[in-house]
Amino acid sequence: MIAGRFFDGTSSVGAPAHLTLGADGIARLHGLPVRIEAPADALKFSERVGSIPRRVTFPDGGVFETRDNDAIDEARETLGLKGGKAWLHRLESRWNVVLGSLATVVLLSVAFVQWGVPAIANQVAQVMPVQADRAIGIGTLDAFDRTLFEPSKLPAKRRTELSKEFADMTSPLGDGHQYQLEFRNSESIGANAFALPSGIVVMTDDLVKLAKSDEEIIAVLAHEIGHVRGRHALRQLLQAAGISALAVALLGDVSSISGILSGAPALLHAKHSRDFEREADAFARQWLREHDIDETKFDAILCRMTKTAGQSETEAIDYFSSHPPTDERVRCSPASDK
Amino acid sequence: MNETTIDAVGLAASSSAPVARLNVPFEFRATGGEYFRIWIVNLLLTIVTLGIYSAWAKVRRLRYFYGSTLLDGHSFEYHGKPLAILKGRLVVFAVYVVFLVVTEMWPLAVLLMIPIVIFAVPWIIVKARLFQMRMTSYRNLRFNFHGTYGGAMSAFVGWYFLVILTLGIIFPMWVRRQVAYILGNTAFGTTQFRFVTGNGRFFAFCYATMGLGILVYGAFFVLLFQAGLMNPQNNPDMAPGDLAKLIGLAGLCKLLLIAMAGVSVVGYYQAALANASFGGIEIGQTRVISKLRASSLIWIQVTNLLGLVFTLGLFYPWAKVRVMRYHLENTSLDTAGGIGEFTASAGSATDPLGEELGDFFDMDFGL
Repeated sequence: MIAGRFFDGTSSVGAPAHLTLGADGIARLHGLPVRIEAPADALKFSERVGSIPRRVTFPDGGVFETRDNDAIDEARETLGLKGGKAWLHRLESRWNVVLGSLATVVLLSVAFVQWGVPAIANQVAQVMPVQADRAIGIGTLDAFDRTLFEPSKLPAKRRTELSKEFADMTSPLGDGHQYQLEFRNSESIGANAFALPSGIVVMTDDLVKLAKSDEEIIAVLAHEIGHVRGRHALRQLLQAAGISALAVALLGDVSSISGILSGAPALLHAKHSRDFEREADAFARQWLREHDIDETKFDAILCRMTKTAGQSETEAIDYFSSHPPTDERVRCSPASDK
Repeated sequence: MNETTIDAVGLAASSSAPVARLNVPFEFRATGGEYFRIWIVNLLLTIVTLGIYSAWAKVRRLRYFYGSTLLDGHSFEYHGKPLAILKGRLVVFAVYVVFLVVTEMWPLAVLLMIPIVIFAVPWIIVKARLFQMRMTSYRNLRFNFHGTYGGAMSAFVGWYFLVILTLGIIFPMWVRRQVAYILGNTAFGTTQFRFVTGNGRFFAFCYATMGLGILVYGAFFVLLFQAGLMNPQNNPDMAPGDLAKLIGLAGLCKLLLIAMAGVSVVGYYQAALANASFGGIEIGQTRVISKLRASSLIWIQVTNLLGLVFTLGLFYPWAKVRVMRYHLENTSLDTAGGIGEFTASAGSATDPLGEELGDFFDMDFGL
């Protein structure tokens, strides 16, 4: 006898009832004013989930509802009824299975963020046209011009020289990017250069002054070209989208956490950003070797930039830094100051 | 057990004797530990099946939560079929891929998409709500939804343009229209809900939220302006760590305070919206009472946030259960007739052919 309540499906009034599943294979409800019975294999049993009540649906639509999940499972077993996905509930009730699942999910997620997301982003970037890169960078330079930069104070002749060097570097690349070199003066940024996804490379006056030879400037430009050519901005965006999607897939729909979910890519932004810096470094070194320029020029200018920026070379690395520590990227020798 | 008393009241009401009104609270029996086990096994199976199991996972999750929600000693039940949900998701995915490809090849096609989206959104809302309601039952009686496409078009799209025309002043009326459309067209068995909350209440809490929101945003921009724009020592491509360097520890604390204030404003809005929405439902002789307190909801959300951060997300099942428990246990029914008075429309709960057809057409869009 399994105690529960019967709802006939025509109104919300229920009545207490008892269910028996006889050895003759007939299910009977007792304690009701009408006689209700049906062959046990014509009944529909709801799947067992947690400790929620179980529903047994009769062929005419009536439902017997009970909290006695174990009794239902026992009766089903005695009658040899198959299905019902009881194995799922068994998985969910065993803590060793649960902990194993947990470990697997964590491992798979970490591996996915570490290798899967960058690889997928790279693949997707390759099928996207170069115009996509340009769309990302629209307006960025204007915004910086309003806030950080003032016009360059370098002599026009010097700028023309360097622009020509830059054109010589980029024209054989033929990768569809519209490379363009821009000069700006900035008190606050100091000696620095950066690339916009559109192919515009910006160099500060301080950097030009800091360089001891044009080859050093070329080394920095090669690094920035590496960013554009590697399509790092686009891949960064795609990776952020991928990680957001993963976070939402895992942690779903608690409205109060949507805030941190959108922050998840930011946490990993720095790690991926460092990977991109390494990639651009590798591109610069490769380019310098191919053009018979001394690779140490790159080390020299980078070391000097770090020094003038007033950072210690062996920064106790904050996990969030967007660049790898300088001493990992280059070997700074006293000679580089000469 | 109070269920017998309720049924007695139900019988008394049907014999038309005057009865005192009774308060019947919702009860939520889910626990974080139990949901954690369901959640993690769901996750693993979803990952190893490359996402296909997610439809089955959704059904299990919803069945657990509906089944843990009790009213008058009886639980709700979710009847959604995983295959219907999977089909819906595949359609959504296919449409999304087509959209991506088309806009990639002809960027101007986005302009053509806008009218398509405008006409599709109300249809999706009606279908999703219909599926959701028909797949929900209580005491073996299904919920239903009678909203029309035209009604959804007016409530969601028409009013949107009215809001723009009036420069956003009547935004609260738009919110009310949507809630009234969704809830007022819902039915339990043959009994349709009525939505009775007036515009005044929506104006009050929407405008209060807007005022608080402006204050929080203002504080945020003042902080950014003081620290970020005045003193840019760093690369333009800024990572979070660089930001920390930029504004210092004091600035970081202020930022955290502002973030907390932002979470609080959201919590206030959610509590007020729930009270005005669910508290405005009348079903026959029964009224829904919703008494969420903003401070309690905010406390739950802030502690959830901390829990999630410090457990790297593992706190999720507990966080979810806490929020749902707070919502449900502060909602109750104020009833005169008892809960036994509702009846099914002919065949709606039991017609198996209707159910199969429903599964085919009523795809769940995961809204």
